[in-house]
Amino acid sequence: MKIISCIKPVPDPASRLTINESKTWIKDQDLTFVASEADNYALEEALRLKEKHGGEVVVISMGGEEAARVLRSGLAMGADRAIHLLDPKFKGSDEFTIAAALANAIEKDGGADLILAGVQSDDLGTGMTGTMIAGFLGCANATVVVGVEANPDTKSLKVRRELEGGINETVELPMPAMLTIQFGINQPRYASLKGIMAAKKKEFKVWSAADLRLEDGQIGKAGAMYDVKEILIPERKSKVEMITGSPEEAAATLVEKLRKEAKVL
Amino acid sequence: MIFVIAEHRDRKLKPITSELLVFAQRVSRDFGQPITAVVLGADTGAVVDELKARKIDRVIAADHEQLAEYTPDTYVDVLKGIIEKEKAFLVLIGHTTQGMDFAPRLAVALRRPLIAGCVEYEKQGDRLILTRQIFNAKMNMKTIPRGEPPYLATASPGAFPADEVESGGNAEVVQIPVEFRRSPQRKILERVDAPKGQADLSSAPIIVSGGRGLKEKQNFHLIFELAEAIGGSVGASRPVVDAEWLPREYQIGSSGQTVSPKLYFAIGISGAIQHLVGMQSSRCIVAINKDAEAPIFKVAHYGIVEDLFKVVPALTKIFKDLKQG
Repeated sequence: MKIISCIKPVPDPASRLTINESKTWIKDQDLTFVASEADNYALEEALRLKEKHGGEVVVISMGGEEAARVLRSGLAMGADRAIHLLDPKFKGSDEFTIAAALANAIEKDGGADLILAGVQSDDLGTGMTGTMIAGFLGCANATVVVGVEANPDTKSLKVRRELEGGINETVELPMPAMLTIQFGINQPRYASLKGIMAAKKKEFKVWSAADLRLEDGQIGKAGAMYDVKEILIPERKSKVEMITGSPEEAAATLVEKLRKEAKVL
Repeated sequence: MIFVIAEHRDRKLKPITSELLVFAQRVSRDFGQPITAVVLGADTGAVVDELKARKIDRVIAADHEQLAEYTPDTYVDVLKGIIEKEKAFLVLIGHTTQGMDFAPRLAVALRRPLIAGCVEYEKQGDRLILTRQIFNAKMNMKTIPRGEPPYLATASPGAFPADEVESGGNAEVVQIPVEFRRSPQRKILERVDAPKGQADLSSAPIIVSGGRGLKEKQNFHLIFELAEAIGGSVGASRPVVDAEWLPREYQIGSSGQTVSPKLYFAIGISGAIQHLVGMQSSRCIVAINKDAEAPIFKVAHYGIVEDLFKVVPALTKIFKDLKQG
């Protein structure tokens, strides 16, 4: 089975984020980037499926040095090779253009039986890109996946999806398929020292927009489906009452208010 | 035309559909666009009747036995056909596990913009600006979809108040013929409800919930101790359950339990929208978090911006003392 696992580089969750001068994105020059958390679950699932059924795991990402970094971590975790989509022209991409480029790259690499991505990213968090790849490739898809059973002989999959209110549904779909993987499906492994050393010798392809035969109008900001007007910190609509003081004082004030004001104790 | 793609199960509309209708009714007033609700399913009569009573202009029903169960393949096929035939302005879909399973593919099929996870919109001149939350609801992003309509948008559950949906319309009902050129790739095998464990929180009067801010499994005893001292039940946010600090049945939020106790403590929980939809109707919400920007403070009634490792033991001590004396 050939499995392609998509990884998005996002600012380290511990970073302090500030909005840039033009208010169109965050100031990202000095941030450390890591793989978006849900993509780690996707990669772990890919590695487990390969361990069970054989084949290979290819990690793919778009971006500058931050993408190379998350791809190297993916190789260190156990992926067999990496594809880095690197081109200044990709700058300003939205979900649609990223998905189009990833789909092109997957086709150029000879397709895949299974394409995995995290259910949503830690930055935009819209959960669109993975499923859009399925749209571009015209393959089957399932989102919010919490269990995968593959049958390479019949080229089919049984996957469990997590719906609202704790309901799970099991669906069957043919390969090739695109799945978005839910948080918590597994416990992602850490890269071992051996893995990190081995990663240095693994194949690492770098493809530009021209390599993917993508025209300027289809990529980056030019191909994007929307403009960002403004990014802002939302105003608080609620009238939360902030309680200050030392931890002991704050605790005492809170209890007093819960008893006398809110009358819930 | 504004299209609302209805979500329904067991011959009833899901609450998200009313939220989408509220979104549509507001946009309709601002942009002078009529509203069509679209129902895909088999035996859709009851759902169509429910929609017909709302203040909208038309209900399109695509009734076919192959639509009895949702699949992304059939939904994209049928909806693409409906939307392309009309001068559509906006297509509204729920930002749910069903909506987000097909909306991105529909956007690709139509080659039109999709703004996912909308919480607000505004009108600027004759442009529609759609706002969505990013970075786990810490920031909002205002977007302007490009090019000619239609634009697609998914609405975050809870962003538009379902109880403000206007009724009293006289919608025309149109049954459209459905034909499939091929059978869907995906099929449903079974659907099961989550096991209700010991942690059924739906009727708990007081819930003390812990989140990722507790840092490690070993620290979760702080939450159990406070819950015991105050006589409440323990809950958790998704990351806690994903990290296997607690079993899945403790999870509160869109993919876990929905609760509305009289008192809810959110401790070390930042307040992702998925968590908020599961607890925001609680009567009194207390948030304890060291990050003053955390979105949980938006729904809280009382907030303490402080290290939880200091405040929680102090609270537990007060409740223990109260009990004894």
